[in-house]
Amino acid sequence: MGHPTAELIAYLREELSAPDRERVAGHLAACTSCRAACEDFRRLLDVLRAPAPAPPAPAWGPYRAELRERLAARTAPARWWRRPVPLALSAALAGALAALAWMVVLPERPRPDATVFEESLRGHLDLIRQRPVVERLDLLEDLDVITQLDRLAAQDG
Amino acid sequence: MLCQRAAARDEQAFELLVARYYQRAYRLAWSILRDAEEARDVSQEAFIRLHETAGSFAGRARFSTWFYRVLVNLCLDRRRKLRWWRRLVVTDGPDDGDGPRETLDRVPAPAGDPLDGLEREQAVKRLWAAVDGLSPQQRAAVVLLVQEELPTSEVAAVLGCSETTVRVHLHRALAALRKRVAKE
Repeated sequence: MGHPTAELIAYLREELSAPDRERVAGHLAACTSCRAACEDFRRLLDVLRAPAPAPPAPAWGPYRAELRERLAARTAPARWWRRPVPLALSAALAGALAALAWMVVLPERPRPDATVFEESLRGHLDLIRQRPVVERLDLLEDLDVITQLDRLAAQDG
Repeated sequence: MLCQRAAARDEQAFELLVARYYQRAYRLAWSILRDAEEARDVSQEAFIRLHETAGSFAGRARFSTWFYRVLVNLCLDRRRKLRWWRRLVVTDGPDDGDGPRETLDRVPAPAGDPLDGLEREQAVKRLWAAVDGLSPQQRAAVVLLVQEELPTSEVAAVLGCSETTVRVHLHRALAALRKRVAKE
């Protein structure tokens, strides 16, 4: 049987199952080197359990104030120029949505030929096809634009 | 439960968690990083992660285990990032790799008590200095076991490995410390 080297600490900490504990105890009774190692490990663990040398203490007051500042900075809304959505795409979508609103929300106005809007939207298809970006625009969730995109994409393709 | 309240954006609950854990978090980070500024930064980052992801705490493990895991992972990541820089400025410093590989069979048993002849306080100081020479994983395992008094199963949960791996880390760590003490 090999030396139960990796089990000695678990044995000392009484974390082994009863059969394993018996097996290791039997080995220790017969193996001088493992017994010596086990005894040294016990002493080392005793010393390590004593309070460790204290780390350099930071100023705890500023620590928590600093943490609050970092949190505030992290949770603050991102500045418009740092937003991940490219400005060009935002502008393009804003234009497309404005056109849609003009046609749908204001029905009393004379409606232009639908193809004008479709052509405008088709011009932005490359941008809009960047799905990971588009998916981040919650604004689109409630609109019918996606359905139109599918249809236009089919025509385009 | 505080963590669930923190997950629900209860700022008071979050503040209570910070108050309860910040000193331990800093101490644990320092034990692994051995750099006060880094420990301060990483322990604060752990609380920020806690604030952002408290909702993902499923409650299957103890909160402290979950939080220590976040913290220890941040510490180990930071060590990896700093390794290249430290190699530039430290030529014979602590082993940052996988640590000593002595097995029990290769380590000669010391002739006498490894702590004989040393004052207790000196022994503690020297031993912890020797702990600095262990790999980050070994050091984390030792600190969690002896200072945080976690059972091996929870050390494994914190380090994200099996209990067997933790036992191997601990054995290698103590075998290296034993050898070091025997030399002094």
